[in-house]
Amino acid sequence: MKKIFSILLASFLLVGVMSSSAFADAAKGQKYYLKFLKKKTGMNGAKFATQHTQSEWKALFANDSEKFISTYSEKYPNLTKFFSSDKFKSKYSEHIADFCIEYASDSGNVPSC
Amino acid sequence: MKKFIAPMLVGATLATAAYAADDSLKAEIAALKVQMAELKEAQSKVNYEALKSQLLEVKAHDAGDNIKWDIDFRTAYDIMEHKLGASSASMIPAPGFPSPTYTMGAGAAAKTNKNSVWTNKLTLGMAAQPVDNLVFKGALGFYKTFGQSSVGDYSMFQDFDWYGSSKPQGENVIRLKEAYFLYFGEAGDMPYTASFGRRPSTDGFMTNLRADNAHPASPVGHNINMEFDGASFKFDFEKLTGISGFYAKICLGRGFSDTAGSYSWDFSSAYGADYANPDMDLAGLLIQAYDDGQYKVMANVFQGWNMMGMGMNVNMSVADAANAYAQSMTFSPTGFLDVGDMRGASLSLQVNGIGNEINDFLDDTIFFASYAMNQTDPSNNAANDISMDAVSQGNMAAALIAGGVPAAQVPATMQGMLDSMNGAGMLGSQEKETGYSYYVGVNMPGFFEADRIGLEYNHGSKYWRSFTYGEDTLAGSKLATRGDAYEIYYNLPLVAKNLTAQIRYTYMDYDNAGSDMFFGQTGNPAGLMGMMPYVESASNLHLSMRYRY
Repeated sequence: MKKIFSILLASFLLVGVMSSSAFADAAKGQKYYLKFLKKKTGMNGAKFATQHTQSEWKALFANDSEKFISTYSEKYPNLTKFFSSDKFKSKYSEHIADFCIEYASDSGNVPSC
Repeated sequence: MKKFIAPMLVGATLATAAYAADDSLKAEIAALKVQMAELKEAQSKVNYEALKSQLLEVKAHDAGDNIKWDIDFRTAYDIMEHKLGASSASMIPAPGFPSPTYTMGAGAAAKTNKNSVWTNKLTLGMAAQPVDNLVFKGALGFYKTFGQSSVGDYSMFQDFDWYGSSKPQGENVIRLKEAYFLYFGEAGDMPYTASFGRRPSTDGFMTNLRADNAHPASPVGHNINMEFDGASFKFDFEKLTGISGFYAKICLGRGFSDTAGSYSWDFSSAYGADYANPDMDLAGLLIQAYDDGQYKVMANVFQGWNMMGMGMNVNMSVADAANAYAQSMTFSPTGFLDVGDMRGASLSLQVNGIGNEINDFLDDTIFFASYAMNQTDPSNNAANDISMDAVSQGNMAAALIAGGVPAAQVPATMQGMLDSMNGAGMLGSQEKETGYSYYVGVNMPGFFEADRIGLEYNHGSKYWRSFTYGEDTLAGSKLATRGDAYEIYYNLPLVAKNLTAQIRYTYMDYDNAGSDMFFGQTGNPAGLMGMMPYVESASNLHLSMRYRY
């Protein structure tokens, strides 16, 4: 019994140490959208994300979000400062991109209760 | 001469041929130009926007007009330990399942039970959106211990409707966990939704963190976490009030349907109402008072009618004419009955990111605190049918008289003793009782990119009763604990978001019996009839790997 448990625990930790991959997080993106963008865009996250298809969002967020920043700074001048900040590029954009892609117009993602 | 003529002929021939070739090339180029012009003209008539729109329609149809499935599969290993206290009486179950008979035996010494269980849990999520304002969502659930098991020989309530796919079963059955449609509408500046079906009512707000679910299901997980059938109507007041995230949702449901079904054994009318427990209904109001992505405040209030409790046939016998209390009892469950109504409420705060840009660790740390309460309103209907044979009645009367009870008062005294065992009331009391609970927790970044560490604590009072039957803790619902519960967990992504692992340790230190039971005498804080042993503490070490896509 103890043996099985020890093997299980060891394999669990081993797999954990060997793997651990970095990735963007749509839930974090949703949080950042609510916190920084929602008030200024005047629309909820679901509506914002369905403005584009997944491939369009990917193109917008390519090259350090270059096109997203220029397009959406023009659309929402009161967000220009935020979009141009280092924090946006280094911390928020990848998660917001993941959120937009996950809920894009052609994602097939269905809103829940 | 021939020397001159031959080259001249060759030259003339070539010149003629070249001239002819030049003409033909020119003609071909002209034809090509015409074709190019035609192509350009045709191309200019193509509507790329329309094509793009058509392609999107095909994609949307492909993705949304059919059922879209998602998979959540988990293999887990749970190690549990329960410490039972000593008691003045103990139950000896006799053969006869599914209508077991228990004989009250001698007092039991304290003991510790240990076990470990392997389980497989599969949830197949379904979604469809045929049009923009109408959605179907569902989930099929399978949750089972490894191999054939002895579960079915012990538990009367194992596959109860409230948690059939939320607790491991002993059989290979896929159950319907969720199925509902959702209609989206707008009344002026107020968006609303209407929904009917089997609700997404497990792993709700706050408890989604320990379950390692990115998004909470509908209710506040502190006091409601169970499978449930009903309806909801959500009204979004954000635009009207300017308060970020403000909405209210009316939730209605039925936890028990009183109906005999078809072809009943007593020949009553098909699907007629003929049972001791009337329909058990619940109405609640869920309010999200504020949500700006960082601070979220939620509350609920609910009222439940005709709450169910277990009734029993109790057969008493008094063998010793010198001691009225030298009784033995045999009893068997008779079914459910209405024990009264119950109301409750909760208020919860979640902070997703401590402070503002202090550092990445605090930005990614989630803290929550919640308070919940409940109040009973017992009907005080007798739950038990008590019987005693003539010999025992004689022995008891003789024993009471020998003990100094005046003969004239013996019938009343005997009746009083029997009445004390009629099981009337809620949670073991015939008074209105109030219970409360508080629940705090923190979920923070771990050692790598996306691993998370969580710490949770909750306390429940003597008469605390939650509806957390669907909580996925094998040792028993920690949020139902009448006492203190502590938990630490570690969630680790192994392959992106698709394969994750969890280690979780839960310890529950009970102050009273009856946590996580029904609403009648089995919820008595002193143990059933004040005599039965109960678990004083329990622990659960949970190790799991989970695939999601």
